[in-house]
Amino acid sequence: MVKVTREMVERAGIDVDKLVELLVKNAAAELTTYYYYTILRVNLIGLQGEGIKEIAEVARIEDRNHFEALVPRIYELGGRLPDDMKEFHDISACPPANLPKDPTDVKAILKVLVEAERCAVRGYTQICNMTAGKDHRTYDLALAILNEEIEHESWFSEFLGEGPSGHFMRRGETSPFVSKFLK
Amino acid sequence: MRVFTRLELEKYDGKNGRRAYVAYGGKVYDVTDSFLWQNGNHQALHSAGGDLTSEIEKAPHGDEFIKRFPVVGVLEE
Repeated sequence: MVKVTREMVERAGIDVDKLVELLVKNAAAELTTYYYYTILRVNLIGLQGEGIKEIAEVARIEDRNHFEALVPRIYELGGRLPDDMKEFHDISACPPANLPKDPTDVKAILKVLVEAERCAVRGYTQICNMTAGKDHRTYDLALAILNEEIEHESWFSEFLGEGPSGHFMRRGETSPFVSKFLK
Repeated sequence: MRVFTRLELEKYDGKNGRRAYVAYGGKVYDVTDSFLWQNGNHQALHSAGGDLTSEIEKAPHGDEFIKRFPVVGVLEE
């Protein structure tokens, strides 16, 4: 724990234990999503799957980066990750992004992907709402992650034909918003 | 349809093997089997065994998520 760092957040009126619990749950969501997206991505094969494989892979890697970025802040605020990884999995802020019963159904895979991103968008919106104007560092981090989750949702949403989202596929460096927390 | 008093509803807090019920808009929903309501706790901010009607306003989602769950009763006014 970083003493004054935590104290400043407490003095701003935030329940730091609840905030830390939320951060741990969202870190669990990121790491489990990285795992489940690995399975989804390898099953995106054939003519239909090939077109989506790249965005699934970028979202996968960026979600892993989100986990990496969250961990230091959890410990700065006096929190910790569970010792048991199975416990960590089960406290995730989002349900597991399981492979659909029919692994050749690319549309079903896309629906799993878009729902996972939507859960993340809600989660980080909640953290931003809690910390805005009070915990500047956590707000900055949650906002950076939120920006990337919104882009993930937009990619999958467009592939589902839900309408234009205004985004093109990311080219170049991954995690354009979160990378500053990874240095 | 079973009528729950607020005191009765408190017992369904989802802890120690108990069912997890939440009230919303006068109805009581069973959220026990949801991955996101384990041990009667939701996103570190909400607890089973109570009336969440006012809390939904601060949530990053609407009531569509609660309404997916089975209704097990109504909350006494």
